[in-house]
Amino acid sequence: MAVRTDERVQQTALVSVSGRVAPASATRLRDDAKTNVLFIAALVGIAVAAVFVRVWQINALGFNSDESVYAGQAAAIANNADLKPFFPIFRAHPLLFQTVLSLGYRMGGGDLTARLLAVATGLATVYLVFATARLLYGRKAGLAAALFIALMPYHVIVTRQVLLDGPMVMFATLSLYAVARYSMTGRATWLYVAGGAIGLTVISKETGALLLGSVYVFLALSSSIRVRARDIAISLFVMVIVVAPYPLAVLFSGKSSTGQNYLAWQLFRPPNHGLLFYPTNVPEAMGYLVIVAAIAGFWLHRRTSSWRETLLIAWVAVPVVFFELWPVKGFQYLLPAAPAVAILAGRAVGSWSPNAAFHVMGISLKAGGCAALAMLIITASLILPAWHGIQPSESDEFLAGSGGVPGGREAGLWVNANVPAGATMLALGPSMANIIQFYGHRKAYGLSVSPNPQHRNPSYEAVANPDRALRNNDIQYVVWDAFSASRSSFFSNSLLRYVARYHGTAVHQESVPARDADGSTIQKPVIIIYEVRP
Amino acid sequence: MKRLLLIALAVACGSTVSAATHAAAAPARVDATTPIQHLVVLLQENHTFDNYFGTFPGADGIPAGTCMPVDPSSPSSSQCIAPFHIGSNDVALGDLDHSSATHAKQYNGGEMNGFVAALNERRQDGRLAMGYYDDRDLPYYWYLAKNYVLFDRFFSSASDGSPKNHMYAVAASTLLKRSAQTSGGTAALRPTIDQTAPTIFDRLEEQGISWKFYVQNYEPKLTYRTVDQYPGNRASQVIWVPLLNIDRFIDNPKLSSHIVDSSEYYEDLKNGTLPAVSYFAPSGASEHPPGSIASGERAVRELINALSRSTSWPTSAFVLTYDDWGGWYDHVAPPQVDADGYGFRVPALLISPYSRVGTIDHTQLDFTSILRFIEDNYGLAPLAQRDAAAATLASAFDFQAAPRPAYFWSDNSTVTVLAKSSRRTLVYVAYGSGLALAGAVLLTLVALGTLRARRSRSYLHDSKQGGAL
Repeated sequence: MAVRTDERVQQTALVSVSGRVAPASATRLRDDAKTNVLFIAALVGIAVAAVFVRVWQINALGFNSDESVYAGQAAAIANNADLKPFFPIFRAHPLLFQTVLSLGYRMGGGDLTARLLAVATGLATVYLVFATARLLYGRKAGLAAALFIALMPYHVIVTRQVLLDGPMVMFATLSLYAVARYSMTGRATWLYVAGGAIGLTVISKETGALLLGSVYVFLALSSSIRVRARDIAISLFVMVIVVAPYPLAVLFSGKSSTGQNYLAWQLFRPPNHGLLFYPTNVPEAMGYLVIVAAIAGFWLHRRTSSWRETLLIAWVAVPVVFFELWPVKGFQYLLPAAPAVAILAGRAVGSWSPNAAFHVMGISLKAGGCAALAMLIITASLILPAWHGIQPSESDEFLAGSGGVPGGREAGLWVNANVPAGATMLALGPSMANIIQFYGHRKAYGLSVSPNPQHRNPSYEAVANPDRALRNNDIQYVVWDAFSASRSSFFSNSLLRYVARYHGTAVHQESVPARDADGSTIQKPVIIIYEVRP
Repeated sequence: MKRLLLIALAVACGSTVSAATHAAAAPARVDATTPIQHLVVLLQENHTFDNYFGTFPGADGIPAGTCMPVDPSSPSSSQCIAPFHIGSNDVALGDLDHSSATHAKQYNGGEMNGFVAALNERRQDGRLAMGYYDDRDLPYYWYLAKNYVLFDRFFSSASDGSPKNHMYAVAASTLLKRSAQTSGGTAALRPTIDQTAPTIFDRLEEQGISWKFYVQNYEPKLTYRTVDQYPGNRASQVIWVPLLNIDRFIDNPKLSSHIVDSSEYYEDLKNGTLPAVSYFAPSGASEHPPGSIASGERAVRELINALSRSTSWPTSAFVLTYDDWGGWYDHVAPPQVDADGYGFRVPALLISPYSRVGTIDHTQLDFTSILRFIEDNYGLAPLAQRDAAAATLASAFDFQAAPRPAYFWSDNSTVTVLAKSSRRTLVYVAYGSGLALAGAVLLTLVALGTLRARRSRSYLHDSKQGGAL
C-alpha cells in the first residue's frame, strides 16, 4: 500500500494542527499541560456520562425476547440445568458474546451481570470512536465524537441490552480504527488487524460481514489507497481464522442445518417492516442534530475531503443500503453505522482551527465559538431522548430491541414460583414465549409461529395443532400479552378464543400505569396468565 | 374381637345412616391422622398389572420364558403364546371376556395357564390375552411409576367383572344378594342390593367428613331403576357409580347431592373445597378395551394435573387403579382370601407429594386397602371383614419427608433432548482456540511489524549518520 505525497502532506498538517510536533517553549509547554489536563478532564467527563446513561436503572425491567434468547444460550453453554432445556446452544447466530457471557453465568451472575457486559462493550466502543476520530481529525474531534456516541440514544439503548449488536459494533469500530490506521500509516500490520477485527465482528453477529463490503467500497473509491494483493490475502486469512469457530462449532455439533435453515429463512421471508421503518426510527434514535452535523461537516469540508470521508461514508452507506433493501428489519441493525456518523459529526464541530472565522451576512463569527456552541446544542439535543430512552418503559406497546419488557420478568418469575414444573404454556407470540421460558423455566410456545416451516423462523418451535394440544392437556397455561396483541389482533383473538373454549381462568396479571379517557391513572393489564384445561 | 364387634355394629347401623350432614365440601369434623387431607380415587377399566407394567424394570412383571399353552388340558401340546407387544403383530384389539367363568378358567385352580384357552372357548382370539403395553404406549403412567409409587401386589377384590369390584371399592363387600350373584349382561346392571350394608361414604357422612363422587358426564336420572332406558355403554354409569344402586343415595337429597358431575371437581379444586375423600368415575376415556388407552391416559393426566396445580396438592393423594383384569394375562396367582377373591392383579399407582419416590411397593393390597387407609386416616370403623383385614396404603407414603412439589409430565422431546445435551465443551474449545489462535497470529504480526519498523528506523538513522560523516 502507498499513500500519495499530497495525502502525506495533509497528514503532516493535521498532526501539526494537533500540536504534537510544535516547537517547544516554556509557555507552550505550560499551555500544552493545561490543554492536556482539560483534555483528560473532558475525556473522564464523557466516560462518566457514558457510564451513567448506560447503567441508570439498567435492571429495572427484565429481559426482552432477544435478550432472553442470548442470555439463555449463555446459560445453556454454562450448563445451567434450569435454562438448558429451553434454549438450544446452536440457534441462529454465532456464539462469541454468549460464550463470554456464559463465564459470568458459571460464576453465578444474572441479569445484571449480562447487561453490564453489554455496557462494557458500549463503553469500549465510545473509546474506540474517540481513538478513531482523534486519529482522523484530531483530539477535539475525537472528544466531540466520543461525546456524541456516549450520549446517542441509539447506542445507549442498544448497549444497555444483552444483544449481539453491542459487541458487534465494538469490533466493527475496532475494524474502522484499524483500516484508518492502515490507510494512514501504510503498515500492512494494521490491515491484518483489521482482518482479525472484522472476523471478531462476524462471530459476534454474522451481519458484521457487511463490513467487508464497506472496506471494499472504501478501497475501490479511494484511489490514494493502494493495497497489495498479498496483504489482502493475509488479512482475509486472519479473518477466516477468527471466524472459523463459528462454522466449525456448528459443524461438529451436528447442527449444521440450523444455520442453513436460518439463512434460507432470512433470505426468503416476507418483510417484517416497510421501507420507512429505518427513516422513521433510526434518525431520531441517532439524534437529528448529530446527523445534520455529520452532513453539514461533510459539506463544509468538502474541499478538503479525502479518503477519511470516503471510509466513513462507506462505513455508513453499505449497512444502510443493505438493510434498507433486506426484507428483515430491526431497530438495532443500523447501529454499526452510528460510530461513523458520530465521527463525522465530531469532525464537523471539532476540527476547526480556533482562529478560523465564518462570515455570515457581513458578520464575522469565530469558528471555534460556533463549533463549541454547536456541540453544546447537539449534546443537549441528545440528553433528553437518551434520558427518556433509559427510563423504564410503561407502555403497552413494544418495539423489539428498544429495551426491556414491562412485566415480562415479573410474569416469568411468577410462573417459576407458581406453575408446576414441567408445565407447558402457549403465549401469543414467540417473544413472550422466550421471556416466559427464561424467567419461568417452563416450556412455552408462540401461537403466531406458523406450523408451516416455510413461513416461520426456524429458530422457533411451532405447535402443529394448538387446539388439539389444549384438548389433550398437553398445554396447561395460556399467556396473553398486550405487546404482541398490539401487533396482531388476529392471533390475540385466536388465543382468547382458546381461553374461552378451554375453561380459561386468569391466575395472574401484570399491569402498567395508563391514562383512561378522563385522564385518571389506571392499571392496564399487559400480561395475563390463564390456566386452561380440556 | 373388638374389631369384629365394631364391624357388626357398623353393618347394623348401615341402614340408619344419618343424613344430617350437608352435601357440600364442609370442613371435616374429624382431623386426618396423616398429612393426607384429600384422597382422590379413580378406578379405570380392565387391565392387569402385566398388561400395563409387565416389562417395567424392577417390578414383578412377566417372567422370562413365559409361553401360555393354547390348550392347558393337553400337556403334550407344545403350542403356546408368548407375551407380545400389542400392535406388533396381526392380533386385533378387542374387549376380552371378563366374566367370573372366564376368570375361573384362566385361573385354572391356581395353575394360571388358562388365559388363552378360556378366551378361545368364548370364540375370541385368545392370543390377545398375552398382549402387553409398555412405555411406548403408556408414557405418562410409566412416568408416574418411575417417580411415585407403583404397587405390584395390588389385586382386584373380586374374581369377577366390574359390578362386584366397584362394590368392593366402596363397601368392602359385593353388597349383592344371592339372586344377583352373576356378572355381565343386563342382570349385572340390575343387581339386587343389600340396602342395609354400609359404604365408606356412610362412614364419612356420619363423622361429617366431606366426600364426593365425581362422575364424568353425569346423568342424575340414570340409576339402577332406570337403567333399561339407557341402552349401550351409557348404562355403565350404574356399575361404575355403585351408589346409584343404593336407594338412600338416590332418594335422600342430602346424600345424592354428593354425587356430582366431574366439572365440580375442577370447581372444587379452584375454590379450595376439594372434599376429604373423592371417588371419580370415568365415562368415555375409561381405557376399557378396545377403547383408546392414550385417551384414558390423557384424561387421568388432566385430573392429576388439575390436582397438582391446586392449593390442595400439598395435602393430597391420588390413587389410580383398575376395576378388574379385563381378560388379560397376569402371572401372579391371586390369593384366595374368601369366596369372592382376590381377582387377578390390576395396575395401581399412588401419586402424592408424600408418596415415596420411584418406589415399587410389594405390599399385598386390594381395593379394600384404600378403604382401610381412609378408615385409619379418620379413625372410622371398618365396613366388613375384608377391609378390616386389609393392609393399608401407608407403606407407600413417607410422611417424614417434606412434600414434593407438583410436576407436570410432558412428552416434549425438545425439552428432554436439550436437557440431556451438553455441547458447552465444544463451544468453549472452538471459540476459545479460535480466539487464542487469532490472538497469537495478530500478536505475531504486530511484533513482526514493530520489529520491521525499528529496523527501518535504524537503517535510516545509520544512513543519516553515514551521510553526515
